[in-house]
Amino acid sequence: MSWDSFIYFALAAVLCWSTGAYFAWKGKDGKVWFFTLAGLAVFFAFIIGMWVSLERPPLRTMGETRMWYSFFLPLAGIIVYGRWRYKWILSFSTLLSLVFICVNVFKPGIHAKSLMPALQSPWFAPHVIVYMFAYALLGAATLMAIYMLFKKGKSMDRELNICDNLVYVGLAFLSIGMLFGALWAKEAWGHYWAWDPKETWAAITWLCYLTFVHYRHIRPADWKKACLILLLAFICLQICWWGINYLPSAKGQSIHTYSTR
Amino acid sequence: MERNNHKWEFREGFLIGGCLLAAGLALQYILGPVDWRWLAAPVNKIVLALLTGLIAVIFLLRKKVQAFEWMMHSYAAVSSLACALALTLVMGLTTQKPSGGLEWLSQMIRFWPFVLVWTWVLIVDGLAALNHFLRMRASEIPFILNHLGVFVAIVAATLGSADMQQLQMQVHYGKPENRALSEYGEVVDPGLAIELHEFTAEYYPDNTPKLFASEITIHTRDDSHLRGTVLVNKPMKVDGWKIYQAGYDQAKGSKSPYSIFLLVKDPWLPAVYAGIYMMIAGALCLMLFMAPKPIRKEDEQ
Repeated sequence: MSWDSFIYFALAAVLCWSTGAYFAWKGKDGKVWFFTLAGLAVFFAFIIGMWVSLERPPLRTMGETRMWYSFFLPLAGIIVYGRWRYKWILSFSTLLSLVFICVNVFKPGIHAKSLMPALQSPWFAPHVIVYMFAYALLGAATLMAIYMLFKKGKSMDRELNICDNLVYVGLAFLSIGMLFGALWAKEAWGHYWAWDPKETWAAITWLCYLTFVHYRHIRPADWKKACLILLLAFICLQICWWGINYLPSAKGQSIHTYSTR
Repeated sequence: MERNNHKWEFREGFLIGGCLLAAGLALQYILGPVDWRWLAAPVNKIVLALLTGLIAVIFLLRKKVQAFEWMMHSYAAVSSLACALALTLVMGLTTQKPSGGLEWLSQMIRFWPFVLVWTWVLIVDGLAALNHFLRMRASEIPFILNHLGVFVAIVAATLGSADMQQLQMQVHYGKPENRALSEYGEVVDPGLAIELHEFTAEYYPDNTPKLFASEITIHTRDDSHLRGTVLVNKPMKVDGWKIYQAGYDQAKGSKSPYSIFLLVKDPWLPAVYAGIYMMIAGALCLMLFMAPKPIRKEDEQ
């Protein structure tokens, strides 16, 4: 098995996952599980094949880690679907997985080419992907909060419940992304937390979502203030993600900048 | 005595936050910025005992003192988190300087109000962990992992910072080096010597760095010799030290006559990692068990 046959396995898997995602919108649980698991089996067969032919676990190159992520995303998707029945989750995870498959098919060496030493680490992919997933979920929660703030009247119970769920899962991913970052920083820079501007803003964002969760717990009826906390949290998240590149206090201070001169 | 029926909520929380701010400013004025080196062992162990003791006392007297009862609820969590958030926001919006400078806000981790407010967060968090732990129920495990994890990780990281050594060592070819420079500029003997055999720097065609590596032998006090290669992201471990590739003569690139290493010893690291692993397990629980039960369309109809 080699990368040459990757495209066939990947296409078959994506086809299965898309079919599963389609049936999620239709609410046909049995078919959702069948097609998603079939896609995962096809994809995993390729991973096993690579493992055997390489005579080592395929976890070394960036392409290999991307391959694992293309596999894990629909897996996470089906777990989340099983628990919460979000109709959109499988479409979302399939799309994200497809992005990584496409990178592997069209630009197999994109990272190997100019990945600077600090980024050459097995932590790179998990740290970034987990954060990306968190950002997506928390973005969805923010949209829900804006919708609730503008659409007055009526019972908001269902919207509020979806919002809570998105934040809980998003906050879990946000925490894991941050902690993976700490474990990586220890290996790369010698310390797990150095109050670098990026880290400070990650802490700020994390505190915002913690405040939201605890506020919801103690004042469940006051959803308007909770929605406002979510908006503030998302602004902080944006500053953490890309805003610090323009923030005077962070300029030239962060070692999290990897732009090449 | 007449029992006060007014229930403590957020206003009291922000009042406590205000008091901590005032007390912190006073301390900053009288003592100057927090000097974390005060905490070096055994002081950090005493502080740890005092902190856990304080949490135990607050917990035991919770039925007697209204303020302590209040500390057990999410009101305290929200107020303390909001205060910590405000001060950390100030930190994010001000340029932080590693050392020197007398401005209070530009060294936030040495700013007393910042330290006091974060301590308050940790006391509330520790109380929550203790309270739920004593219920001795399996269903409390996710809550305990999250709250105890945060407590262990942050307390160990903070108290341990004074015992952590971060040294820089510049090693030239042919001259085994046993002197290193501490972060405070003192010359220190780390108890090992490093001999540089070969420094390698590779670049991509567009001149961005691709790889830095130093082939070295580490000579320890007990006369053992460990040969290996140190790369960025791949430190070497010996005698409780982690040795990192930190720098080289950038003007000379691959022909650099020396290599710079970072030597780190952090005796509290296992405790910090224990907290981090608890938090990771707690986060997994958060997504699997702790989110509120979904309301499905069919339930409404």
